[in-house]
Amino acid sequence: MKIPFPSLTFFQALQALMRQDEARFRRLGFVDTTFGIRIVTTDRAWQYLLTFEVFECREVREVSTFDLTAIDFVLQGDLAAWVEMLDNIRQHGGADVSHSLNTLTHFGERLTLLYDDPDNRDKFFRFQESIQEFFDLASALDVELPMSTAAGAVVTT
Amino acid sequence: MAYLSTIDFFTDRNFLDRWQRTLRGELDLGWLHAKTEKLAATPENPRRGLTFRDLDQGAYGFTALPEVVRQNRSLAPRGAELPEGLPDLQPAVSHKSEVWAYNTEGYYEEAMTRQWNATLDVPWHELAKYELPDDISRAYAQLLTFLTEVEMIATDVPAQWLGRLNNEFTEVKNFMATQVMDEARHSEVFRKRALTTGYGLMKASPQNEWSLKLIRDSDSFAEMSLALHLVGEGFVLTLFRFSEYISPTELDKKIFRLVMQDEARHVGYGVQHLKWVMRHFPEKREVIHQHLDEVENMVFGGGYAVEVTEPFIILAGKGTKKENIEHGTRITALFQMKQIEEYFERLDKCGLQERRQRSKLHNALELTRASLQEAGVIP
Amino acid sequence: MAFYLEKDYFEDLELFHLTERVMSGDLTLHWYEAKTERVRVAPRQPARGLTYEDCNVGSYSYDRLPDLIRTNYSMAPRGAELWGKLPDLGYTVNRKSDVWADNVAVLYEEAKTRRWAPAVDLPWETLARAPLPEILEAAMAQLCTFLQECATAALGITSHWVYAINQEFLELKSYLSAQILDHARHVEAFRKRALAGGQGLKRASVCAEQALKELLSADTYPTSSVAGNVLLGSFLLELYRYMAAIAPSPLDLRLFRLAMQDAARMVAYGTGNVRYHLRHHPQRASFLHDYLDTTEHCLLGLAGSPECLEPLILLSGGGSEASQVQRGSRAVAHFLRQTIADYLERCEHAGLSGRSTRSQLPQYLQRLGV
Repeated sequence: MKIPFPSLTFFQALQALMRQDEARFRRLGFVDTTFGIRIVTTDRAWQYLLTFEVFECREVREVSTFDLTAIDFVLQGDLAAWVEMLDNIRQHGGADVSHSLNTLTHFGERLTLLYDDPDNRDKFFRFQESIQEFFDLASALDVELPMSTAAGAVVTT
Repeated sequence: MAYLSTIDFFTDRNFLDRWQRTLRGELDLGWLHAKTEKLAATPENPRRGLTFRDLDQGAYGFTALPEVVRQNRSLAPRGAELPEGLPDLQPAVSHKSEVWAYNTEGYYEEAMTRQWNATLDVPWHELAKYELPDDISRAYAQLLTFLTEVEMIATDVPAQWLGRLNNEFTEVKNFMATQVMDEARHSEVFRKRALTTGYGLMKASPQNEWSLKLIRDSDSFAEMSLALHLVGEGFVLTLFRFSEYISPTELDKKIFRLVMQDEARHVGYGVQHLKWVMRHFPEKREVIHQHLDEVENMVFGGGYAVEVTEPFIILAGKGTKKENIEHGTRITALFQMKQIEEYFERLDKCGLQERRQRSKLHNALELTRASLQEAGVIP
Repeated sequence: MAFYLEKDYFEDLELFHLTERVMSGDLTLHWYEAKTERVRVAPRQPARGLTYEDCNVGSYSYDRLPDLIRTNYSMAPRGAELWGKLPDLGYTVNRKSDVWADNVAVLYEEAKTRRWAPAVDLPWETLARAPLPEILEAAMAQLCTFLQECATAALGITSHWVYAINQEFLELKSYLSAQILDHARHVEAFRKRALAGGQGLKRASVCAEQALKELLSADTYPTSSVAGNVLLGSFLLELYRYMAAIAPSPLDLRLFRLAMQDAARMVAYGTGNVRYHLRHHPQRASFLHDYLDTTEHCLLGLAGSPECLEPLILLSGGGSEASQVQRGSRAVAHFLRQTIADYLERCEHAGLSGRSTRSQLPQYLQRLGV
């Protein structure tokens, strides 16, 4: 069954895959962070809150707002950037250098890190490998991505 | 401020000019023509990955390291080009045979892949199913107090020395770093176990603390290694093996098996270091004997530490009744003899066979053996 | 020998009689009624195991530690009964607020679970299968030569203090031990990376090493920590992050991503330490500011050393053609801005208010034209 992106179902599927692949994430170590995902187009935004604890993704939920003082950071980007990243993950079995979360956020062009407290923002770096491998799990999903247009924008249904 | 850079980078005009030129695209690229060896090291065994031994080639190798390091006293890695102006880090040890051991690089790689975690690798949740007799719990808590106390010294001492070694001794420094972590983990696991007994920590052991001071205050790396790796940890290794044998639960057996692996690496380094010294630095022999005289005095003085011996007797005898104590003292006496015998076996392997003749500790061992034979404890 | 035991025990009759007594079964049991608190801790969260936080109870806790340790200069573990004649082991760092951070126990547990081993956790075989173009490999070899110097200095900074810090601060010393292993791992990883690529090591850096020796030489723990963990740590974190973003191979991507995680812990401890220190001694902010006024130039010595800057430009631009160098220079200018901005933001957030305006680093970037 195809899993649409963006959707809560998509993140729940990643959560389930992470639980199934516990040994892989146990090897990477504790991951204790709560962060937001914000996917935007010109006319709407999808927002999800992901809570990681010990070796698993404990909770995913859709939220209407983020309180940056209560969470560690928010990964924000255009739907097109997210789609490109997931497409890349699907093609390569995991993000390549140009599409890793670190690369996409580093120059703040495709994805941006929003935060209130730089200490909490630094958790993005502290748990980098776990967070990246969490998203890389998407390669095992049959994801229904919005279609890209030639201009790089996306068409959602 | 003990040291200030010879260049003030805020004000140095040349530094700024050069940086500006570089950012404009005028690169100097002098480093591109560094007079160093080219090397493409590959793993000899892909399953083992790329090891330090795979890098033991040419000027980069530890085999080619000269006995005395004369050129490099800086942070520069072994084999790099050394330009004029590198700072002097004032290393306290620049003589290879003072620190080297056969298989240092192997011990390091082993340590890196055999790291374990006292928080997760011990099944703490299973403790709820064990209810130990009061005298056993109490004796065990006391033994664990002693182990918590002595382990952290083996973190401090290598940490101190690794910062004082010439940076050419990369593999030794890295091995010391693994020991620092191993011993911190031992202190952690014994403390955690003590706090799960229902007793907590018990009494400190002053006699053993004085022994630790002897190790901490060693004047040279070689003295430190003899006292710490070969003697101190050698005795503790035997203690861990016996502790596994007398452990009150399966969980405790696991703890002692894990710490034993780490300790065996450290003792291995100590033995291989002494072997190296005996072969490459034979004039050190008399100095080593003199130092061992004092270190053996330290070991023998451990007899005062009844807060260690007595819990051992109770744990070995499995209780405090007369018959338990009788059984426990027999096992403990055998254990103590074993500690000393294994120590002399290690010295034999290092080429110090004559130690038995001049050692007061060996004399004490023989007297103990005779009295145990007379009492019928051993044949 | 600087120290001798007070007796020749082989000639000590008292010891002989004591041993004879105990081994005949007449135990002293003087330890049996130790005057210590009885506790039975258990994991609060089984999946996480038994952590130091679980053991933070009663007289054993680190929360109850006094700021100044006056009563224990021995190795006796915190909470044990101190009795008899215990030695002074010579600790010179005995003030909790000099060394502590609220996140110490968490970072220690995190460091242990997030450990990695360069020999087996990096895909070395991929480099042999798909080598980099020669110029990029040479740049990587130079950068890794430089990074070994940095990691060796970081190793020196941490290891220097462990020996001097009072044993009562066990969790802090445990974290520093994990940090020592992290630094050693980086020395190993960058050495292996340089020697695996076909170029070998390149040139050591005078500018960087002068800067690193100054950072190594900080003479108090709070200054050493802000120098090592915040200043050097921030620089390394940003550099590893940057290299992970532009990594020229899968091996380099993984190497720098893993190194980034370790450096982020270092920075988290450093900022936590500054915050804790200033919370207890707000008047010392001016002392740390003064120190940084003098020392921040070391960040320039590192970032601006040709042995770091030039390979970074080549790696960023993808080669040494003029257009590639131009592109690389622009990217590196961005990296420099980001590095300084993030460092100053961390200082401010840790309690060094006004650091952004007081620091000469932003003006220096202007002079550079960045």
